[in-house]
Amino acid sequence: MTAHTAAPHLAAPGVRIRDLTVVYKTPAGELPAVRGVDLTLAPGTITGVVGESGSGKSTLALSLLNAVQPPGRIAAGSVEIDGLGDVVTLRGEDLRRARGRQVGYVFQAAQNSLNPLKTIGKQLLDLGRSHDVEDLRALVRDAKELLARMGMDGARVLDSYQHELSGGMRQRVGIMLALVLNAKVVVLDEPTTALDMITQATILRIIREVHEERALTTLVITHDVGAVAEVADSLAVMYGGRVVEHGPVTEVLGDARHPYTQGLIRAIPRLTGDLSLARALPGRPPTLGTLPAQGCVFRERCDRRMEVCETDEPMSVNRDGRTVACHATDRHLTLVKRKEFV
Amino acid sequence: MTHAVPGRPRLGAIARKIGGHLVRGLAMIWVVATISFVIIREIPGNPVLGQYESLIQKGMSPEQAERATAVLYGFLPTGNLWQQYVGYMGSLLHLDLGRSLSTPGVDVTTLIGHAARWTVLPVLAGTLLSFLLGVTMGVYAAIKRSGKLGDLLALSGSLLHGVPVYVIGLLLTAIFATLWPIMPSGGPVDVEFVPGFNAGYIGSLVHHAVLPVVTYTLASYGGWILAMKSNVVAVLGDDFILAAELRGLRRGFVFRYLARNAILPLFTILALSIGMLFGGSIFIEEIFNYPGLGLLLVNSISSRDYALMGGTFLVITVGIVVANIAADLLYTAIDPRVRSGGVA
Amino acid sequence: MTVIVNPEGAISPEAAPAGTTRATLRRNFWRGVWRVLRRKPSRMAGVVIVVLFAVMGVAGPLLYPAQLPRDDDALYAPPSLAHPFGTDFEGTDVLALVVTGARYVLLTGLATAVITVALGTVIGLVAGFHRGRWDMLLMRLTDMNLAIPGLPLLLVLSTVWKFESPLEMGLVLGVLGWGGIARAVRSQTLSLRERGFIEAARGLGLPTRHIIGRELLPSMAPYIAMNMLIAVTGAVYAQVGLFFLGVLPFESNNWGVMLNLAVFNGGALTTPAALPYLLAPLIAILLLTLGIVLIVDAMDEIFNPRLREE
Repeated sequence: MTAHTAAPHLAAPGVRIRDLTVVYKTPAGELPAVRGVDLTLAPGTITGVVGESGSGKSTLALSLLNAVQPPGRIAAGSVEIDGLGDVVTLRGEDLRRARGRQVGYVFQAAQNSLNPLKTIGKQLLDLGRSHDVEDLRALVRDAKELLARMGMDGARVLDSYQHELSGGMRQRVGIMLALVLNAKVVVLDEPTTALDMITQATILRIIREVHEERALTTLVITHDVGAVAEVADSLAVMYGGRVVEHGPVTEVLGDARHPYTQGLIRAIPRLTGDLSLARALPGRPPTLGTLPAQGCVFRERCDRRMEVCETDEPMSVNRDGRTVACHATDRHLTLVKRKEFV
Repeated sequence: MTHAVPGRPRLGAIARKIGGHLVRGLAMIWVVATISFVIIREIPGNPVLGQYESLIQKGMSPEQAERATAVLYGFLPTGNLWQQYVGYMGSLLHLDLGRSLSTPGVDVTTLIGHAARWTVLPVLAGTLLSFLLGVTMGVYAAIKRSGKLGDLLALSGSLLHGVPVYVIGLLLTAIFATLWPIMPSGGPVDVEFVPGFNAGYIGSLVHHAVLPVVTYTLASYGGWILAMKSNVVAVLGDDFILAAELRGLRRGFVFRYLARNAILPLFTILALSIGMLFGGSIFIEEIFNYPGLGLLLVNSISSRDYALMGGTFLVITVGIVVANIAADLLYTAIDPRVRSGGVA
Repeated sequence: MTVIVNPEGAISPEAAPAGTTRATLRRNFWRGVWRVLRRKPSRMAGVVIVVLFAVMGVAGPLLYPAQLPRDDDALYAPPSLAHPFGTDFEGTDVLALVVTGARYVLLTGLATAVITVALGTVIGLVAGFHRGRWDMLLMRLTDMNLAIPGLPLLLVLSTVWKFESPLEMGLVLGVLGWGGIARAVRSQTLSLRERGFIEAARGLGLPTRHIIGRELLPSMAPYIAMNMLIAVTGAVYAQVGLFFLGVLPFESNNWGVMLNLAVFNGGALTTPAALPYLLAPLIAILLLTLGIVLIVDAMDEIFNPRLREE
């Protein structure tokens, strides 16, 4: 991991999250925000993770950089990235160097991810120096190219302070900083939240284009099913810290198998047709403290709930390239133990 | 807004800001001068009139007596309120603060000029030291805030912050000058040394300055450590610190990002702090017998030298106003958010 | 039962699930207070100290004869069993002086705190609530109040008016010191306004007095209470200092006067003889300050649950 420029034609790395459990320390003990999650990001794909607030999706995203903040910690599992190894085992300087160089992270637009007291350009140089970039001028050139690619005047932006840029511009600067060191795995946390619709569309387009040009493996976290439908190749649905469904995006959205996914889609009002057809999911998502200790996490709000749902956690069943964790979906088939899937 | 950077610091904006400060400062000075004037006139026994009359008794003609009194106080002893006020303001504009009674024949301005250094230098030294110490300890207290050390630091800051400056001064003197005489207990310098750039004089100056400066430092330190700690804790929770870590920035950079952002708001308190020390200098100079502005003010009251009193009060206020303006300008120069005309 | 929307999410005795009586809520509140106090025993000490001083203020002068006894044979006597802090320049027991002097100090402190807080709160509320021209005017006024050097002004003022009674002293100090609270209350009001509380209440058609009295003030009440305690320490500082400087009339059991006499008459700074005479009021001031700081610290934790998460 010494050359700072990984040429775009190098293969995109795959990411395999296995049995990941992240807990948070509360007065009531350590409670899981992410429980036993298996997720594979196929090389070169954009995976969207959708879920309500508190589903654990942001925690999952941070885990890819082993950056879960106290009082949380990764309690079990592994996050393997091709070419890097298990991120969970990285510490100290190794971890610091991997962040930004191998794995890029883009913050939400609403968050201030930039130092308000320094120009963007200076922060870029700090970034370069932290990662032992020898040719800083080339780095600045790359940054300007990236910014131009996203429709901005690179020189002026690098010369500006954060408060002189609009929300959409800051978001793009965040994307630039995540990519400028040629990371091959990029995580975007709610990239379109807090942006107006037009900017949202632009950002989504940029994500898609940049992803293809640089042969990245991308993870997009969002609660906006519409955004994910536009940009992702495969879609994972999270609820209460578990992945309840995962598969190619068109299939998951077109033929949802898990009751939660079905409920989500049912809740989306159509542009045409009867508005009253849209039905919201009853109940509320669980918080850290209200997670059931056993049985299916979703059972309180499920319309297909059965007795077994109270006691047994549904295992993830993989069939035809799609994974679902629900007792009600494949009643006739015997439960197959967890398999690797693509 | 799709275009990038709006205009950088416009000269016009900065000039307007300075102008605003100046206007407010002048307004303050004017208020204080008016208060002085009113009080001097209201003093029981009407010293101004009394002076005038006693001079006449001594044989001066009324016009001479009038003029002599006017020189002393800056306004005519006779005439109505408005005339006197205008006269007073007039002399102020000429930077004439009258003449001292207790040190006969000497201009108030001269006395103040001599006294100023004994106030300004220790106050500045104390402010600087307390700032440096408080800020450093504040960072520490913030980082260790979940442990006993952090708690202790914060508590020590709270306590010192709440203790009046003269209590600190008296205690320090009691311990280090009376019980354990390693420090001199009074005066700015040992009289046996000849003033000048010789080692003996300067050494003695410094020796005598230790306790007063330490007192100023301890008195202000609490405020700095508390403010810095709370700022650091606030910035620690800010997203850009986490973002910097997630981008793999070196620890040194992250720390600097943290420190600069946390310190910046403190500059607004800098002026306030200097202002408070100016006020507290009255106590310190009394206790340590330093011939500064504070002592001058107190002595002028007890010796009924009211022109001196008014003049000193005014100058102290001017000092505070200047400190305020300077600190504000400093802040403007450092914070890029304010420079571009945005709201910090 | 009124449900008060508390923007800080802090303990508000009135917000509760249906069915709980007010008494239960109040009990729960005090239980929470007890828990906070117990967690850091230093805070308990703070309460004890302040209560002690309060008792001293109320009962102190009753323990001694109206005219404290002098003893010409024991001027500046060293500490002994009979006189734990020695005696003063006319042989009176120093401890007695401190205890009887507490009443004046506390009364003045209280008077100042009440006036400071009343003035500051009203001005801050009006400025934050009405904004616009009122705000600008009041803020300019506050700026001036904050910037004018208080102590020099007090000294200058003392030439024309000897404000020695607790009420007079409280008035003067209060009028000089409301600036800080006004600013703080105003910023609290503005932030509440920003969170939409005022707009919502207005939208509901609630009268202004109700909004201020029932919505704004209760949520700021703990904050105001804490500021009041802090104002007491400031007042103690100011009045003792004024008497120490010798610009106000003399009262031999006044702590400030004691300091003055110890330093300037007794030479406490040069010879150890009058040191106990100097130290006694100093220690009293320190203890009182300590007690109040600890209580404010406890109040901060009680009313700012966010801190408790650390």
